[in-house]
Amino acid sequence: MIEVTGLSKSYGATVAVDDLSFTVPPGQVTGFLGPNGAGKTTTLRLLLGLAEPTAGEALVFGQRYRDLDQPAHRVGAVLESNDFHPGRSGRDHLRALAIAARLPISRVDDLLDLVGLGASAGQRVKTYSLGMRQRLGLAGALLGNPELLILDEPANGLDPAGVYWLRTVLRGFAEEGRAVLVSSHMLAELAQAVDRVLVIDEGRLVAAATLDELTEGGRTLEAVYLDLTAGKVS
Amino acid sequence: MSTELRAELFKQRSIRTGTGLFGAMLGVVLLAVLLHGFGLAAKNIDSASGQMTILMPGEIIGTLFAALLGALSITGEIRHGTIRPTFLVTPSRVHVVAAKVWASMLIGAGFGLSAGAVAAGVGTAALRVRGIGVRLDAGDYALAIVGVAVAAALWAAIGVGLGAVIRDQAPTLIGICAWLLFVENLLLGDLTNATIGRFLPGAAAAAISGQKPDTRVLAPEFALVLLILYAATAAVAGCLAISRLDVD
Repeated sequence: MIEVTGLSKSYGATVAVDDLSFTVPPGQVTGFLGPNGAGKTTTLRLLLGLAEPTAGEALVFGQRYRDLDQPAHRVGAVLESNDFHPGRSGRDHLRALAIAARLPISRVDDLLDLVGLGASAGQRVKTYSLGMRQRLGLAGALLGNPELLILDEPANGLDPAGVYWLRTVLRGFAEEGRAVLVSSHMLAELAQAVDRVLVIDEGRLVAAATLDELTEGGRTLEAVYLDLTAGKVS
Repeated sequence: MSTELRAELFKQRSIRTGTGLFGAMLGVVLLAVLLHGFGLAAKNIDSASGQMTILMPGEIIGTLFAALLGALSITGEIRHGTIRPTFLVTPSRVHVVAAKVWASMLIGAGFGLSAGAVAAGVGTAALRVRGIGVRLDAGDYALAIVGVAVAAALWAAIGVGLGAVIRDQAPTLIGICAWLLFVENLLLGDLTNATIGRFLPGAAAAAISGQKPDTRVLAPEFALVLLILYAATAAVAGCLAISRLDVD
């Protein structure tokens, strides 16, 4: 579903992503790990057409994201937990997306109920907690009933029940044959949700394997990650 | 109506920014027209051209607030990060900017129409209260109301274009205010040669809103073509700037 080949992105002399290649298959949750500044978010932005690569290509369903017809029907993505106008209600935020994506408005209330925001849907987003904003972002990503989810730190700000709920959603999504690419620093939590792991450091891919392969011999994902990134603080 | 345009109009409707700007605009127009209508000496407003000056706050304030609305439609999205979900749903950035231009022009026309109508109504009432004969004819009122609506719509498009090029909200809004309220007045006034100043976009808006053609402003039809060119140039520049933008 995702095919990244030789992807690079430089900002002047700074190389944010360096010759990165990986794939994300259907039916699996793929974790995307790396220290702060490793290039995870830049990679996701390149993948989603929000930035232009310096070299290489990032394809979604065999096409550049920008070339997809009705992308919200196939790909759901959340890059920031705060991409909302503070004066707009949660419901109206989703309605604006639904109109632009040519989706039925009736989907909005269904999604708000699914993410547990039905009761606060009419409130302005500035009154929402970080966890509620994460849920609203996820509702926006799920609006088009996509085949692929791309999420950047979706568990930030969620309480334990919210984290459990998120894991259930992601696992259910993958079990339906769809794909998830999720970046996170919550390694213990991520280990319970992912099938495969990609680790990048300083813009380069340092590991791409199944979770079972990485944690062979009883090692934890955290220990493996710290070895791969030379113990850099996430 | 395109889905992008519907989405933009919905976005404008679903926050209070537009309503707040509209209310503030009407208040400022009302105050300025009352000050002109009751403050100017009777001998200065006993001719049609003199009486048009009472109505001019409708044009100045209407176009200014329409331009601010247009600029806010794009700089607000960048400031609050909603530009990310917007581009994820509509990856064609040209379509997004074009929808913002059309939506802002529609709402800006409403701003201009309202500002022009309030200025015409209150200005005329002020003349009558002071016992000064109204010299304005239907053509003057049409320009003072419809002309302001057209000028405001085109300035709203300029606002979107400037916002897309500058992107930072505060400098964009301050720049528009400074340009329309101070810079053009200086260029159009005595400090420089008015033959340059009358070709500027603020002067063009004034010309199509009923200022009598003289050495300081262009004929309305020529000013209209010029302002359309300014608006189109700003919109195209905005499309180009946003198309090349790496969104953080």
